Amino acid sequence: MPAATVNRPMPRKRLSAFPFVLIAIAVFGCILPTAVNSPLLLTLLTSATINGILATAVGLLIRHSGLVSFGHAAFFGAAAYVMVLALERTGISVETVIIAAIVLPTICAFGLAFVMLRVSGVAFSMLTLAVAQACYELVMRWRELANGEDGLAVKLPNRVFGLAVGVFQRPDSMFLICWIILMIVLLGLWFLGRSHFGTLTLAIQDNEERARFIGYETTVPRAIIFALSAAVAATAGVLFSLYNGFVTPDTLHWTLSGDALIMAIIGGARSVWGPALGAVVFFFIRDAAGGYTEHWPALIGITLILVTVAMPTGLSGAFALVRTRFGGARNG
Amino acid sequence: MAETWSLEARGLTKRYGGFFALNGVSITLKRGEIRGLIGSNGAGKSTFMDVLSGRGSNLGGEVFLEGQNITPLSERARRRAGLARSFQKTNIFPELTVRQQVELAARAAEEDNSEDVLRELHLLQYADRKAADISYGDQRRVDLALALVGHPKVLLLDEPAAGLTMGESLALAHLLRDLAERWDLTVLLVEHDMEVIFSICSHITVLHLGQLLTEGTPGEVRANPEVVRAYLGSAAA
Amino acid sequence: MLVQILNGLVYGGMLYVLSVGLVLIFGLRRVVNFAHGGLFMLGAYVGYAAYGIGGFWAAIVASIVVLGIFGIVLDRLVFRALQKQEPMVTVLVTFGLLMVLEDFVQSVWGKDLLTFTTPPSLSGTVAIGAVSFPVYRLVVIAAAVIVVGGLSAWLKLSRAGLYVRASSVDPVTTAMQGVDTEHLSALVVGVGAALAGLSGVIAAPLLALSPSMGSTILIESFIVVVTGGLGSFTGAFVAAMVIGQLHNLGVVFVPNIASMVPLILMVGVLIWRPAGLLGAKA
Repeated sequence: MPAATVNRPMPRKRLSAFPFVLIAIAVFGCILPTAVNSPLLLTLLTSATINGILATAVGLLIRHSGLVSFGHAAFFGAAAYVMVLALERTGISVETVIIAAIVLPTICAFGLAFVMLRVSGVAFSMLTLAVAQACYELVMRWRELANGEDGLAVKLPNRVFGLAVGVFQRPDSMFLICWIILMIVLLGLWFLGRSHFGTLTLAIQDNEERARFIGYETTVPRAIIFALSAAVAATAGVLFSLYNGFVTPDTLHWTLSGDALIMAIIGGARSVWGPALGAVVFFFIRDAAGGYTEHWPALIGITLILVTVAMPTGLSGAFALVRTRFGGARNG
Repeated sequence: MAETWSLEARGLTKRYGGFFALNGVSITLKRGEIRGLIGSNGAGKSTFMDVLSGRGSNLGGEVFLEGQNITPLSERARRRAGLARSFQKTNIFPELTVRQQVELAARAAEEDNSEDVLRELHLLQYADRKAADISYGDQRRVDLALALVGHPKVLLLDEPAAGLTMGESLALAHLLRDLAERWDLTVLLVEHDMEVIFSICSHITVLHLGQLLTEGTPGEVRANPEVVRAYLGSAAA
Repeated sequence: MLVQILNGLVYGGMLYVLSVGLVLIFGLRRVVNFAHGGLFMLGAYVGYAAYGIGGFWAAIVASIVVLGIFGIVLDRLVFRALQKQEPMVTVLVTFGLLMVLEDFVQSVWGKDLLTFTTPPSLSGTVAIGAVSFPVYRLVVIAAAVIVVGGLSAWLKLSRAGLYVRASSVDPVTTAMQGVDTEHLSALVVGVGAALAGLSGVIAAPLLALSPSMGSTILIESFIVVVTGGLGSFTGAFVAAMVIGQLHNLGVVFVPNIASMVPLILMVGVLIWRPAGLLGAKA
């Protein structure tokens, strides 16, 4: 054992600094809109943050269940469509609609998990893609419901949660809202990771049979993780529809699922904050690619291949590696 | 009822196709006893442990834990009822630290004596290391710790000394006897190492081709000509 | 009604030819090729290009040959290179490849829908009982029948086929018995990719050509292989036939929610049999 002399309790101490670092980053983000005077950059950052939340959802599933979703756009898009349809066709208050837009996909995910978890990891990935794409086809074809590929405008009232609706649609203020929500999600997931339930899900991922033999039911915890992950993705979908004011089937398309997955992989799903970092990097690469965005899918496809093969733990993994320098016992 | 057995199995049967891996095996364990279970390869020892602990499904027979019929219970419910097991092939959580997994098991058992277990099994010094990073012998003890934590009533140990050196095996055997006495455990021990079996078991059950061959004290078993022919053979000579 | 059933057979046959390639590759490599839809799409476009030069039969041959070679290269550069990694690594890499392929095709042939006209010799209709049915669709059914027959003969009668079947049941033991999996794998992935190309080119006159046509049909072929049981040839056949029918009936009777129909079937099957219709226990 090469790392026999390394003292392992170290990471525990370092991890407990996480909430403080997070708060510092949160504060930094909050003063960013006042420091940055470029609406373009703020628009970019807002999109990156919303997608960062979606990528965080994908990362959560990978970290706590080892399952890779190619279809998280399903929950993102479902939330966006619940928003747009409920606001257009019912008289329910916008606040209730927002809650429903998060709760409904979460419940669906919980139920679906009991079917999807019956298959192996790779088949699970295939099913996530199939389910999401079926939802995409549904809104494309059922024109009376969702107006097909033309999409629908979100009919927002003047005030949402007591704030003027413009607050959600201006990049500077919306960036703040999304940023704070992202930080709350990250903090929540960090607590989840340290909780008994978090350890249990890691144990189930590690050795499902033994988890049963030490006295645990193993399907429900995995379904809960899938549902939680869906809830985070749906939150991103709600923010998107508020910010954008318009919802199209693209919110359900596999390329969005793929983007979210790629962000999670680039950033590294082994840490809570990796996927969100991946989202920021993703958007800045896209911005830098500028004139080449015509070939964006190929660029991002190649990036995915390279990162998967050369840097499987992503940026956060590489970062942790540089920090500890005790690579000997690290497990891929 | 004269006595409530700690663990009782009646007529356990398990069939794969037309082949009986286990054919009507019954066994009773007194509270606090360490029972050895021996037999040649394919005698049905591991299958017996599997059926007792709820791994897979048993086709026939019943299992009682302190008089309670636990046959319909899942492996998880059996563990919660107080029937714990370890595995022949190390079956632990490699990505968790030793302490994390022992505490997890303790929490399921709703009795946290994980520090005691870690100390008794000499695992304290590795407690915050990932289980994948410790030596094989230490991993074997982690497997044991997962079964031992939370004061189970009955412990099924499937070759806990497999792969250990002679010295390590005997040390483990004496530790087991000591713990069983202090923590009031009933143990069913499958072991190939006859020295371990004979040194800590008061009674021994011998399986042969899925059936019960004989039962008795170490002396009786050693002297039984059938056992010698079927199993001990040259090993005891 | 007869027409509906025949249309279901057409779609099911196409799905089978595409899906069986996934099954072949999974059987040997234990990974799922997420770029398979891209191969289907590439097959259609290669056929489109060859059609302009040498006509319909040239298109078919060109697709099979080009995609077969592409498959062999894919096996060497991706599946073989990554065989020691976790299966998910290969899945992600092939997913990236799908994006690259779509972009490549879009750069060469553009984003707009292209039509691949039915060859004149096959463009008529034929009377079946009281109804008339396009000849070309019967050709698609015939092609699927030929693939089913040819593949089962290959799997049953040839040595390579025997190994493939053995390997899809137990890859480790098969490899241990000295079967040259490396050699076999290039062949199998080549055949799988060629079948994807074939299904793309025969589907081309029925579907409009677009760079995203591959990812659309990929979804249904995924449902086919999971419903049939990953790695099961017969399972894929049965599932493709059933889903072909359901797809068609769905489009006719419940057009709005047609995409959900195969999914509902799959959910039902997985509740009933977690490993799929004919899948081995995991």
